[in-house]
Amino acid sequence: MTESFAAARSTSQALPEAVVRIEGLRKSFDGRLVLDDVHLTIGRGRIVSVIGQSGGGKTTLMRCVNLLEQPEHGTIEVAGEVVHQDGRTVCRDLPRLRRTVGMVFQRFNLFPHLTAVENVVLAQRRAGVAELEALERAVALLRRVGVAHRALALPDQLSGGEQQRVAIARALALKPELLLFDEPTSSLDPEATREVLTVMRELAADGMTMMLVTHELPFAREVSDHVVFVDGGRIVEEGTPEDVLGAPAQPRTREFLASYGSTS
Amino acid sequence: MSDLFQVPWSDYQSDLLDALWRTLSYTAVSFVGAVLLGLAVALLRLSRAWPARAVAAVYTELFKNIPLLAIIFLSYFGLASAGIRLDVFTAGCLSLVVFYAAYLSEIFRSAISGVHTGQTEAGQALGLGRVGIFGQIVLPQAVRQALPGTNTMLVDLLKSTSLLVTVSAAELMSEGRLITSSTFRALEVYLIISAIYFALCYPLSQLLLLLERKVRAGVPLSPWRRRRLRTARALLAQDAPDAPVGADVKAGAV
Repeated sequence: MTESFAAARSTSQALPEAVVRIEGLRKSFDGRLVLDDVHLTIGRGRIVSVIGQSGGGKTTLMRCVNLLEQPEHGTIEVAGEVVHQDGRTVCRDLPRLRRTVGMVFQRFNLFPHLTAVENVVLAQRRAGVAELEALERAVALLRRVGVAHRALALPDQLSGGEQQRVAIARALALKPELLLFDEPTSSLDPEATREVLTVMRELAADGMTMMLVTHELPFAREVSDHVVFVDGGRIVEEGTPEDVLGAPAQPRTREFLASYGSTS
Repeated sequence: MSDLFQVPWSDYQSDLLDALWRTLSYTAVSFVGAVLLGLAVALLRLSRAWPARAVAAVYTELFKNIPLLAIIFLSYFGLASAGIRLDVFTAGCLSLVVFYAAYLSEIFRSAISGVHTGQTEAGQALGLGRVGIFGQIVLPQAVRQALPGTNTMLVDLLKSTSLLVTVSAAELMSEGRLITSSTFRALEVYLIISAIYFALCYPLSQLLLLLERKVRAGVPLSPWRRRRLRTARALLAQDAPDAPVGADVKAGAV
């Protein structure tokens, strides 16, 4: 799987080191199977988009990577370390694993009692970063995502786009090796969506490894190295964005894309 | 009018000050105790283990449905007849603590469970442990929710210390009864005692309202938070560096 992915990508590059390797993942909620025998590898610096209908298991798949969900079966490896195996968390230091993986949520989930800059500082301090260094990094990150002028505002004083950009800065603060984006623009209006996608495009250009669950198919096509179509808890089709979004091989993928009106 | 005020109040000044001090002591000690016990009961009620939940539920329902006066009599007279002799201050505080903890636990429980699960998940995703998530994310938000109800309980507790007159606790109401029995000026004495209670409770509740508004507006109350925001302001005031530092974030060079 890693080989084919790498081969499809480029011939000039060496095989990218895998940041995430998922094998034979199975997960059910109350007896209902939501993920079944899922395999996925994300190489360093790669951007993988997961698409599919709501309730198809794509968010659950993403949440398994930082073990916000515990699968029943399969292996999860993050940054070269097996963290979960067949229903058992084998990672001894779960907080450290989660600091390796930044996550951006659909509903932002900023801490409402703290200003934007404090939101970015909090986890750094818990991770042992010195106060001044944490603040400097927070301010630099807020500048980077273009919300430094709102650094001292509370989340409910920020627009949706600003909140999501603060959330991205917060996820970047721990210098993660991988960023997970769980439908980051689904609660945003078009203007705010554009703001957030601009930031994500910049991260992509900087070589950040990203896993993205999204309904923004044109964006997925633009930035992704690899697109995965999940339906009914299984990976139905995967490949380059041109293949999966442009010339899907599976009827189920074509059906899904037709419902979006974006097979072009 | 001249008939109304005939008690030689200056003779009772130091006694009244003692009584005032006693009232405030009962209030402060009982309130701190009730908040701690109330929080513990609320956490038990939110526990995953059903026996813990059951114990907490029985506690809450029991003390919410017994009059405070009965609890005071039980802890001062009742326990004494069972061989456990508590001094009046201990018995008084104990009664107020167990009674108000029952109400506070309900306020705390709803405040804690009112914090959205997404907040806990965001904390987990940032690598915070259980203690960090509770202390830095859930609790501060729960406090914001619980503040109005808790403040009402504090003022109510202060007024309820007057029930301790029944065990001669030497607080304001007991002092009022003493002065009345030596002057036979019940109307005048209890008007003055009521005025003192009002002078305590009204400013206290206004102060607590102010606190609620400040907390809601996100005003930093702790010195370390103020310092952090001051530093942030200073950093923000500095000119942005020419090249966006973020380019190196992934490589860990910020």
